[in-house]
Order: sequence, then C-alpha cells, then structure tokens
Amino acid sequence: MVEAALTILVVDDEKALAEEIRSALEPLGYVVRLAHTISEGLSEARAGEPALMIVDRMLGDSDAATMIATLRADGIKTPVLFISGLSSVDERIRGLKAGGDDYLVKPFAMAELTARVEALLRRLDDVRTTRLRVNDLEMDLVDQTVKRGGTAIKLLPREFKLLEYFLRRPGQIITRTMLLEGVWHYRFIPDTNVVDVHISNLRRKMDAPGQLTLIVGVRGAGFMLNASH
Amino acid sequence: MRAIELFRSSAFRVTLAFVLATIVATLLTFSFVYWQITNADEQSVRAILVEETSKGANYSEEELRKALDLRMTRDLRRLDYVGLFDSSGELVLGNVKKMPAIAIDGNAHLVPDARPLGASDRVEPAVFVARARADSSVLLLGRSLLEVYGLRKTVLSALAIALAPSVLLALAIGLFLSRRTTLRLARLHDTLARIMRGELHIRLPTRKYRDEIDQLSHDVNLMLDEIVRLMSQIRNVGENIAHDLRTPLAVMRAKLERGLATPEEGALRLTVSQALHELDRAIVTIAALLRVAEVENGPVSMEFTTIDLAAICADLFEFYEPLGRSKSISMTFQASPPVSAHGDTDLMREALSNMIDNAIKFTPEGGVVRVSVGMEDGRPTVRVSDNGSGVQPGERDKIFDRYYRTERNGRIRGSGVGLSVALAIANLHGFDLKVSDNNPGAVFELSRRADAGRSPVLAA
Repeated sequence: MVEAALTILVVDDEKALAEEIRSALEPLGYVVRLAHTISEGLSEARAGEPALMIVDRMLGDSDAATMIATLRADGIKTPVLFISGLSSVDERIRGLKAGGDDYLVKPFAMAELTARVEALLRRLDDVRTTRLRVNDLEMDLVDQTVKRGGTAIKLLPREFKLLEYFLRRPGQIITRTMLLEGVWHYRFIPDTNVVDVHISNLRRKMDAPGQLTLIVGVRGAGFMLNASH
Repeated sequence: MRAIELFRSSAFRVTLAFVLATIVATLLTFSFVYWQITNADEQSVRAILVEETSKGANYSEEELRKALDLRMTRDLRRLDYVGLFDSSGELVLGNVKKMPAIAIDGNAHLVPDARPLGASDRVEPAVFVARARADSSVLLLGRSLLEVYGLRKTVLSALAIALAPSVLLALAIGLFLSRRTTLRLARLHDTLARIMRGELHIRLPTRKYRDEIDQLSHDVNLMLDEIVRLMSQIRNVGENIAHDLRTPLAVMRAKLERGLATPEEGALRLTVSQALHELDRAIVTIAALLRVAEVENGPVSMEFTTIDLAAICADLFEFYEPLGRSKSISMTFQASPPVSAHGDTDLMREALSNMIDNAIKFTPEGGVVRVSVGMEDGRPTVRVSDNGSGVQPGERDKIFDRYYRTERNGRIRGSGVGLSVALAIANLHGFDLKVSDNNPGAVFELSRRADAGRSPVLAA
C-alpha cells in the first residue's frame, strides 16, 4: 500500500491507546515507534526521522505543544497529528498554533485516525495543478467543468468542490468529518446523515447506468475515490 | 493573645487615630486661647503705660508728684512701678531702686528681671516706659506681668485638666467598640471556618440593624446559597450524564454478551458493529453535553464581528436541502437581505444548523420545512417552521432542557441536546430562541432581544 515503509512516531503516555494505534497502523504498512514521555518523544523525533508524529496533547502533566514548539525551533518540520481529550475549540486552535497539522479529539474511530494520517502524509506531494484526472473523469479547475468519458457533467458549485476534494485524494479514505471541514468549512457535526445525501446526489450525476461507481463507501470509515482502474 | 488581637484590630486603630485627633484639636484650641490671652493682656498693658507716660510727662511737677503718690498708694498688690529721676539720673520719687536699662523714648520695653522695691527679693517680668520731661527729668512707669503670667499658668493647667479625661473617655469608648467588633468578627471567622470545612448549610449570623458587617454577612449568605445551588446543579449534570450513558452502555453490554455466546461469526460481527454504534451514540452525547457547557461558559475563542445571517442561512439551506429532498420534504427558503447581526459566524451557524436539522428530523415524509430570515421591527429574525407533529404547549420550555427527550412521531429524539446548544448560543449573542405553534407543526424563532444592545457580552 505504501511505497517504502514510512515511520510513524506515536507519543502517548497512555500505553494501551498507543498500542492500539500501533495495531491499527502496522497492517497499513507503516513502521510504528512508540514514546511515552516528552524527552523520549524529543529524542525519537530527532534520531528516528519519522514521516509523521501522532502526539497526545497532555503527556502526564505537561503540554506536548511545548515539545512540538521545540522541534519546530530546531527546524524539524515533520507533520504532527495531535490527539487530545481537550475538546474545546480553543484547545484545538491552540494545538494547531503550536505547530500541529491536524487535531483529533478522543475518543475517535481508528478509521478516522488512519484516514487523517494518510491525508497528512499525502499532503507532502500535493501539487498545484489546473487539471485533475482519475480514470475517465476529468476536471478542469480553470473552466470549472467536469467530463466523464467525454460527456460534460453539470454540477452545482458545492458539488464541484466536493468532487475536487475527492479527485485531489484518489484512493484515500475520506471521513465525513474531513468532508465537513474541507468542503463546507463547518466545525460542527450534524446529527443527521446529510453528508451521505450529498455524496449520493453527486454519484447520481457522475455515474451513468453501467458505469463504474467512482466514489465508494468504506464501511465504518467514510468514502474513497476509486482509482484502481 | 486576645489583648494583642484587640490592639491589632482595625476598630482599635480607628480609636487611636480618633484620640490623637482629639489631642491635636484640643491643643490647637488652647494654643489659640493662650496666645490670645497673653498677647492681648500684654498689649493692653503696654498701650496704657505708653499713654499714661505721655500724659504724665506734660503734667506740672506738682500735678505729677500727686499723681505718682496716688498711683503708689492705690497699688496694693505692688504691681505698678513708678519713678521720677532728675536730670542727673537720681531717683526723686518712686518705688524703683534704679533706672532700668531701657531707652528713654516713650515706648514700651519688656524687662524680664525687674525688682520691685520693698517686696523682698522677687524678680519678675515687667513692662517699662521712660519719657523725658521738658525740665530734662525722666518719668518712668512700669507694670509687672506677674498677673498675665499667672493667667498663662491657669490656661495651661486647664488644658491638662480638660485633655486627660477626653483622651481617657475616647480610649474607653474605642476599646469597648473594638472589643465588640472583634468579638463579632471572631464569631464570623469561626462560622466561615466551619463552612470552609464543608458545612455548607450554615449561614453567617445577621442582626436587624443591618450595619456594614450585617450587609456583608448577608451578601456572603446569598453567595453561599448560589454555591449550593450550583453544586447541586453540577451533581444533577453528573447524574444526568450517567443516566444518559447508562442506557447505551447497558444495550452495548447485552449485545456483546450475546455476541460472545453465539457460535456464528456473521452474527458476532453484526453484534459488534451494533455495539460500536451504541458506543458512538454515547460519545456523541458526552460531546454534545460538554459543548453546551462550553458555550454557556462563553468560549474564549469567539470572535464577534458583523455577520450576515441571510448568507449563513442561505449556505445552510443549500447544505440541508438535499437531505430534505431525500425525505420528500419540500423545503423553501425566503430571505430579505441584508440581515446583519453582531456575533460569531461559526457559533451562529451551529445554532441555525441545529434548528434546521431538528425540523427535518421531525417532519414526516412529504412535509414542508420553511426557513425565512429578515429584519422584523429592526431586529434580525430567523424562523424555521415545519408541519410535523409540533410541540405540546407543556413541552415548549422543556425541549430546550439539555436532558429532556420527547417522543414525536413515536421516535426518540437523537441526543436531545441540539436545541440546548442552539439556545446557549442564542443567549450568548443576546438572542431569544422560542418555539410556537404552526398549526400544524412547530415554528422555531431566533431573534435578537430588544435590549440586546445592553447585554454584557455584546458590550464587551
């Protein structure tokens, strides 16, 4: 699934959770290293050159944000995914300001964690482009047009944004929360399955009868743009 | 210890300051009196002497002798000095031994060590005036200041006699008052110590008279009432959260137990996924309850700016419209922009989304949900109406209660806190959130309070 084995450093003083994260990430082909204190985390981050760090905001009594600030001051730019029991919007903003790249509140679904890990790792080779293409689907970002197998598809502006989000992340699991944040810029989670409805509307427009379903559901996690063909 | 405490008490310090002020005031008064008496007396003695000498210098020799004799015989207390010296400086007539060392200029001079003739060897301060006559003899008149100085002594002893009792009286009153205050404060201190040890039902004693201490005690008692109320509320919140979690946990436990017992893998997988669903429900409940608390306490990160409610509603309507359509609900949107308000975009959007979400959830298939936004009487107002089963009049306040669940259309309402979050956000913005009858269905109205401009949050 991943070209070369990437190393992910998990810094969490709750060993059971750290082990669970390891169990979830290793089958995906990552090498997972664990650290349980700030000093362990610092030396692992400096020596091990991880591709990504998953860091608990509160390590014992200390705020791990200071650890990230130290690393950032040393010029280490490894992406950081904060996981935290501190859920308030303020804490989230503070975590992101301290140098975190994403923030996940405990308790979370492992699928949400792995999806965000992949998103953070892919983000590195995300390039500016004017055309996106997956299989027979083509999107022109300048003209704001979409074609499938040469046939133009008319999309509403928000549907266009939604599809663009998928096209930029082919083969990657995308959760409902990621869509709410990335496409609508909403910070709340609606009580209803409104995101699913938007996806199925988009599917109806994109997939003519007999055509391959491009956006598929991933059980217990979210959706994925099918890029296998 | 008690005595030291008494002296350290603020009431006693006030007393000391008061005593000091009394002393200073008395001293000032007496100094004035003292200065007035001595000075005025001495001045009048001087003036009289100058005048008499100037008159006497012009008398004929015979008249002068007569007048001087009369003056000496009348002076029973031996306070007057009289002297007539001839041109060679010899005493011709009088009761002074010799001419005092003063200028012969008709002006008054103070001689501190005058010695009256015949009166043993007393030495006294006296005022003398000497004036030359036409026949170059010198007339000397003088008066002892013994009387004036005696008066000074009287004034000084009067001061001492008056000062001592007033100081003592002030001290006594001060001690009495400060002792009383110290005792009262000690009682308050003991009561507070008991309250701090956890006896929260105790209240500070207050009296009828309502002085500052009573007023303060009264305020502390009110504060204690509020603390007790808040504590019981927190306890209730805890109990309610526990109650809200108990059901999904019980279901989860039963399902997992059943799953373990089943030999079939397919059934086990189904059970586990159902248990996960229950767990997610519990997590959503906790998150939502915490969200209400967070909004009620006023999130620090909120940024109040001028926001466009019409634009926020239009955006949300576009977001929810497909959901309504999927339930065959006809959704309409009506806006008369601009509808500007002062607030935080993210929070307002959350509140409005909860209102629309709620309306779609409780409207049956084929129903209607209307969203309208505009200014009414100069106040920004958003209405979300549906034609579902509505809200019973008795339930209208309760549905905003974060723990209340209602059954509408036979379904239990989600986590039940969406409207509580919306209400908390509305209050934070100085808005009202009210529900009324839509005949059939319900109308939720979010509008700015008429006095919102004076809301403390908005004024900040």
